[in-house]
Amino acid sequence: MSDQNLSRRGLLSVGGGLTLAALFAGAGCSSSQRSAGSQSSAPGKALTLSLLLPGDVPAGWDAVLAEVNKKLQAEQGFTIKPQFIPWANYGQQALLKFTAGEGFDTALQARWLNMTQLAASGSIVELSSLLGSGKYPNLTATLDPKIVELNRWSGKLYGLPQINSVARFHHFAIRQDLADKYGMSEIADFAGLEKFWYDVKQKEKDITPIGVNSRMPKLLVAWNPVGWLNPYMWENPRTSIASFTGESLAFVLAADGKQTGSANPVPFWEAPGMLDALRLVRKYYQDGLINKNALTVDSKALESQFKAGRFATAWAMTDGLTSQMLPELTKNVPGAMLSNVVPLKGGKDAKPYQTFQADNFLVLNAKGQSNEKAMQLEDWLSIKENHDLITYGIQGKDWNPIGDDKYEMLSTYTFPGFALSWRAKLERRIKDMTASEAAWFDWAQKADNFTIDPYASFTPDPEPVKRENTQVTAALTQFANPLFIGAVDVDQGLDKLKKALDRAGLAKLQAEMAKQADAYLKGQ
Amino acid sequence: MSLAAGLLALPAVIYFVVFNYLPMAGLVVAFKAFDVSQGIFDSPWNGLENFRYFLDSGDAARILFNTVFLNALFLATTLAAGVTLAIMLNEIRSTLFKRVSQSVVFFPYFVSPVVISIMLQVFLAGASGGGGAVNDMLNVFSLPTLDWYTEPGPWPWILTVVKVWQLGGYMSVIFLAAITGIPEEVYEAGMIDGASRAQMAWRITLPLLRPTAGVLTVLGVGRIFYGDFGTIYAIVGDNGTLFDTTDVIDTYVFRALRQLGDFGTTAAVGLFQSVVGFIFVVIAVMIQRKYAKETSVL
Repeated sequence: MSDQNLSRRGLLSVGGGLTLAALFAGAGCSSSQRSAGSQSSAPGKALTLSLLLPGDVPAGWDAVLAEVNKKLQAEQGFTIKPQFIPWANYGQQALLKFTAGEGFDTALQARWLNMTQLAASGSIVELSSLLGSGKYPNLTATLDPKIVELNRWSGKLYGLPQINSVARFHHFAIRQDLADKYGMSEIADFAGLEKFWYDVKQKEKDITPIGVNSRMPKLLVAWNPVGWLNPYMWENPRTSIASFTGESLAFVLAADGKQTGSANPVPFWEAPGMLDALRLVRKYYQDGLINKNALTVDSKALESQFKAGRFATAWAMTDGLTSQMLPELTKNVPGAMLSNVVPLKGGKDAKPYQTFQADNFLVLNAKGQSNEKAMQLEDWLSIKENHDLITYGIQGKDWNPIGDDKYEMLSTYTFPGFALSWRAKLERRIKDMTASEAAWFDWAQKADNFTIDPYASFTPDPEPVKRENTQVTAALTQFANPLFIGAVDVDQGLDKLKKALDRAGLAKLQAEMAKQADAYLKGQ
Repeated sequence: MSLAAGLLALPAVIYFVVFNYLPMAGLVVAFKAFDVSQGIFDSPWNGLENFRYFLDSGDAARILFNTVFLNALFLATTLAAGVTLAIMLNEIRSTLFKRVSQSVVFFPYFVSPVVISIMLQVFLAGASGGGGAVNDMLNVFSLPTLDWYTEPGPWPWILTVVKVWQLGGYMSVIFLAAITGIPEEVYEAGMIDGASRAQMAWRITLPLLRPTAGVLTVLGVGRIFYGDFGTIYAIVGDNGTLFDTTDVIDTYVFRALRQLGDFGTTAAVGLFQSVVGFIFVVIAVMIQRKYAKETSVL
């Protein structure tokens, strides 16, 4: 759930002196212009790379870091000093640090963070020449060239894609023990899921069928590759969707754009299936299938409630991490079981659209101490032994290998690998991965199981419509999110949303999207 | 003498210069098309463009109203609660009981807004997002329940209750200190005249607390344009259904900055907020000087 963990908690720390902080950051910018060109450290002086990582400091981190640094110093001649920033603040703080011109070396970035903006402003390093220099054989051996190609934006590579499966496909993690109880041994389609939810509602007084957290509303109806609660899209998983920024309006692009040369972007509600999905979610909400505090509840809080057995369904991703919830769940609810449900029509042969865009990138700071050393670090982490050390911790204490590609967790050490060391080819699976998760995880490893989205590497540039985009985003938070979780009447809510978007500059945004998407099609 | 006084003031002066005055230079960003790579002073000017974001949004009137309304509500209720609690605490004769009560009412001041937010969710929505203690209670009396987190109407009052719970004790301590400062002779005179305890509280304590209340009001009014970011954001967050009644300038600015990271527009709203806030302070002081000269500190 790597990208779902951002939440509002802790933002308070930035709160009071918000403007002040922003001003400070900016003020620092002018005064602390580091010698950006100094690409190598002075001889004899120990170089310590500074890394920004999201989340809390892992349990047992000091021992792992000491081991990593010992090895790094001996083999590469430098050490690392990662800085963990809680998820709630990560996006904000990372941006402030870039803005202030701090000299850290690497960071996690993504389109759902501030990567487009940082690329546009030249704050992060374009990596083509570094990666193509041939100096980093271990890294290139573990990075699929096809994935690298698809993650170029207008031909430029701004980050190293951090992936542990080739394709990212969100879906459902359900309580299989409950499904078994109701005689549904295998749920394969959306209708089955719906029956499961209503059964849970009817038969389990204390369990809410579907858990939705405050970061999820935008995923529910109009999302790439499918809206989570949109049955039409699960049946027709071939819709191209684009938005200027992570939280902005989803435009649906014409499927025949390549033939006609016209992308014809329309706001999501004009595309087939969307209105029905909104009405369906509204019904679910009114029938009590969705938690009433969906717009407020934090992702971590929701996850802990799921592990406590209070929800029957959680959001899941093809990243092999669902089964990690099982130990705690079974501790709280003896006999509980999880399974992963991907209700695609046609199952594993559905060949849904996929943009192959990585959710997470490692980026190099243009003002970092040494970009070459940072690449060296990534290369070093692409060697299985080193990768395992930082990802799973100290062997024998934190984990034990099982064969070549599995592992057993011995402690609670969890490292945010997606921010530094995810290599699809090196990742080990947790020993107790459920059969259903293993099957779908396997499925997501093969690019042939997917159809490349005709707009796969289209990355709209928000700069020309910056103000409109901000206003549209604000309007969405206020009017679309309640609509997406079903908290308001569909017709009234949509009417309000449309009015707010018109005022915010939807027409201009749509025209700009059409212009850029058409240009993209032309360049194909 | 004056040199010594100057030296005494020096730390405070340095503090204000470094943390309050120097950063003001950064305000120019409100008039610039801010670019991360160019920095504050080298980014190109763009006039009043940044201000249009807020003023054109169509939300400005509602947000300004919410900011002033909620803060006025918070100010009035916490002051009233503080005075009431202080008078009540002052009437307690047992020192031990008084001390304990004081600590108990003061305690909520230290509770983090995040914790308050979680407590509220349990009260209003329950752990699994359906029900909650308040709805359970309403059920007991066969009253209709409410989806609290999607119903904007009650929220100003919910937040007010939270605020009073949070700050009532804190305010009461300030007033208690003021009560201790009231000369004993005044009460003795009252006693000789045969006043009851209630009459003394009403006719002596209350009027003599006016200067303190006055100062707190002026300070509060000066901050009336600053939404209570911590509490409101922790509790409401990005819950759009509640914005109608709870969105204030600070939460609005924060969302804009977080979602787009655009410093120019956020600095513009911040500047706007400061200027209007300053006007409010000046007006508050002028009114005080005119109508309550003896209690005015400024």
